[in-house]
Amino acid sequence: MFTLLVKPNTSITFTFNDLEVSAIPGQSVGAALLEAGDRVLRVTRFENKPRAMFCGIGVCFDCLVVIDGAPNQRACITEAKAKMVVRTQVGGA
Amino acid sequence: MNSPDAIVIGAGVVGASCALALTNAGLRVLIIDRGPVASGTSGAGEGNILVSDKEPSPELTLALRSRNAWFEVNEDIGGGFELDGKGGVVISRTESGIAGLAKLAKAQRENGIDAREVNAAELRKLEPHISPTIEYGVYYPQDAQCQPMLAAAQMIRAVKQRGGKFIQGENVIAINSKNGQVTGLTTNKNAYASPIVLNATGTWAGDIAKLAGSYLPIAPRRGFILVTVPAPELIFHKVYDADYVANIASGEADLQSSAVVEGTASGTILIGASRERVGFKSEFEIPILRQLARQAISVFPILKEVQLLRAYRGFRPYAPDHLPVIGEDGNISGLWHAAGHEGAGIVLAPATAELITAEILGKTPFMDPTPFSPKRFMNQDPSAGVHVAS
Amino acid sequence: MKPEQVGVVVVGGGPAGLSAALNAALAGASVLLIDSNSKLGGQYWRHLPETWLEQSELHLDLDTGLLLISAVANNPKIEIWSGAEIWSATHENGATTLRLITKGVEKIITTNALVLATGAYDRTLPFPGWDIPGVMTPGGAQSLIKGHGVAAGKRVVVAGTGPFLLPVAAGLAQIGCEVVELLEANSPLRWLKSFPTLIQNLSKIGEAAHYIAIFNKFGVRPKFKRAVVAAHANKDGELESVSIAKIDSNFNIKKIDRVKCDLAAIGWGFTADTSLAGALLLKQFVTKDDGVAVSVDENQQSSIAGIFAAGEITGIGGSELSIAEGVIAGLAAAIYLGCKAEISDDHRKTKVKKHKFADALINSYPVKSGWQGWLTDETIICRCEEVKYSKLKFSVIELGATDSRTAKLLSRCGMGMCQGRICGRFLVDLVANESGISPSDISEKERISVGNRPIITPISIELLANGE
Repeated sequence: MFTLLVKPNTSITFTFNDLEVSAIPGQSVGAALLEAGDRVLRVTRFENKPRAMFCGIGVCFDCLVVIDGAPNQRACITEAKAKMVVRTQVGGA
Repeated sequence: MNSPDAIVIGAGVVGASCALALTNAGLRVLIIDRGPVASGTSGAGEGNILVSDKEPSPELTLALRSRNAWFEVNEDIGGGFELDGKGGVVISRTESGIAGLAKLAKAQRENGIDAREVNAAELRKLEPHISPTIEYGVYYPQDAQCQPMLAAAQMIRAVKQRGGKFIQGENVIAINSKNGQVTGLTTNKNAYASPIVLNATGTWAGDIAKLAGSYLPIAPRRGFILVTVPAPELIFHKVYDADYVANIASGEADLQSSAVVEGTASGTILIGASRERVGFKSEFEIPILRQLARQAISVFPILKEVQLLRAYRGFRPYAPDHLPVIGEDGNISGLWHAAGHEGAGIVLAPATAELITAEILGKTPFMDPTPFSPKRFMNQDPSAGVHVAS
Repeated sequence: MKPEQVGVVVVGGGPAGLSAALNAALAGASVLLIDSNSKLGGQYWRHLPETWLEQSELHLDLDTGLLLISAVANNPKIEIWSGAEIWSATHENGATTLRLITKGVEKIITTNALVLATGAYDRTLPFPGWDIPGVMTPGGAQSLIKGHGVAAGKRVVVAGTGPFLLPVAAGLAQIGCEVVELLEANSPLRWLKSFPTLIQNLSKIGEAAHYIAIFNKFGVRPKFKRAVVAAHANKDGELESVSIAKIDSNFNIKKIDRVKCDLAAIGWGFTADTSLAGALLLKQFVTKDDGVAVSVDENQQSSIAGIFAAGEITGIGGSELSIAEGVIAGLAAAIYLGCKAEISDDHRKTKVKKHKFADALINSYPVKSGWQGWLTDETIICRCEEVKYSKLKFSVIELGATDSRTAKLLSRCGMGMCQGRICGRFLVDLVANESGISPSDISEKERISVGNRPIITPISIELLANGE
């Protein structure tokens, strides 16, 4: 798929809703999940609508996930670390 | 509508309540505000509808009636302002505090307030996340909450639907009177004739009294409130430290603060409450925000994990004797005041409106309004000569 | 925790901030560079770790950026705090106090010379379905490529207005996406009005040619006077297709087609991030495109002595203007602290020239009010609080709001986690329109006050409580 980029072959793994996801060191949680096919990161608190990354740079707070038990973490700007436990944020979590 | 039956100055919760009561009594009411709806103190508070913080006094009688009147207003206008009879929990952690709170609760019970002492286990049933250091509290099922801006806006909407009018963005520059009787008022844009002018301008009520050549000693008492990010439901009642009651009654100018914590319909948690007399000083003072955070954590340690999203500040209007000012001016007839409710403007608004409407119409009010009369400040204007009562 | 007193503090690690930090340091000042990103470069020079190969083809001038980043990183007079978010800022007695969160702890610093270079983010407009997963800003789609090596979709529609759509579409094509549509809402003929400015900025024409070559290679055909006016979800709630409208010069819909895609990157230029400037009560002004920018003098000094601003927050103008302003601001801040330095005329000339180009950009890529006609009652206006257009209208029509602050407090529009960063700017226009107020009568104060957020970013109650 990538014509230009040559990916490093190192990777780390974390879990998203208990399933293992791999990320290249330096990648954000949101980017790693997107590449793994998990676009939906949270479910809204009033209408239970799925949401994903929107602004991609930490401004819009739409990509909120629960990381290691802490809600309201912006997936787009949080670097993926090995053994992180990431979950879909439902409502205010 | 240039000559309404009555003009209400101020589109906060008190002004809106009065306008609604007068409208329901059959008057054609014009509401005027220099800004938008609830742009003063009503737009900067938690929406407290509390009976728990009142010591036996005329104010308690007013608050008890008003608390029920809120639910009648809710019925009358079809809701839409998040009225929630959630109940309140007052806690104390010191021996003297607990004794004082128990004594207050007893006196309140004798005056018609449902005040139930609760032990550590009962407290945890009411508030599962309360600090393990807290073992005593009083539960007040009558305490309630509303969204005050929506309350003002919905009441004004009802007034408009019932023939009244709301004009925003006009600044009152003169209260007109002839032979000691109000004839109307002039704004920066128009003149309006009316035999009744009701001053419901809260913290700024002294300025309107002054325009009329009268005097009201209303001053601001600043408060900050923290608003958290939306969180799951963690706090189920309005929970506060008994120190709060002592702070309200305090005459000190210095900063006082005590923990006041509650959830809201939108999922945010409100954390108060500070009181200080610093005029209309508007700067955000981080040390006060930090103190509020510390106090809130001491009651609900779980709040450590919640994030602060916003903070806002407001100016409570207070009179030197901490009682609201409700009734006709001592110097100008036809000029009425409904102001100076301090931090209790939301709870007291509908009963204030009932009192003042009864008085305006010459009917017997549900309680003796004398303690709230503006006439108590007659002859006290330090900047003027002696006023003669009309 | 006593506040730490430092020399020049620069906030922002993009072109303006890097230039300011380096030049302040070269002038002899000790510098603290605070950046909310984990890596220097800002949005413009966002880049992958060195372990990724051959990424420079994705950036037009990444080499300049990497050079500047390395110069800053290796300058012993510059201390860098990356991943640091300022949550509160106050100014008292000539000193600014910044309270920030970095690696889970709060730090407090005070400085007499501050350079704000907080940049900008994509300007967005609401439309039916813009909350569906798969709809992103162009900046968001690009940051995933440039910073993380990830394509946010396979079949992509890029739309909106402005020259930024070109690199985004090019990057998406280069990384392997099928760019099925590249849609510019305005007519290219609008550039004719600014032809002399265009001629003076030939490098910009060169950039456009570079992107056109990429589009030719990948078979992308840009179309004009078209916009995405609705997005549609599949059964899983994710993006399945968009409605593309042919629009007139006021953005009114003429004819609609449906196009299948799984990513729609839609943006309308940029909004300056003035949160910090607003918290410090710096004088701001409304720009020609109804954005808000910080007022500065010829030395980039704001309305408060010792506080300077550079880059996009003084008016959207691109990286070259940001660099010129950053150099001036960095030198001026060092001079303010007593360092000996001179600000060369070259930088000032570049600034003037690039400002003209920025003005031409605004004239060539306007956002016209016809977009309001794309909304339905069900359209989400505030993404955070899920406030629908009907509720916003209720706050105006029934509850009597005539200004955006009152409408916000009565509808909760703009009261969510992003604190109105996304919806605040267009909320002002929507409320005015519902109130029957013409856009030209919206007060400068109202547009500026939308960005008022004394708590700049959320902070945990525990950190707040533990601080002094």
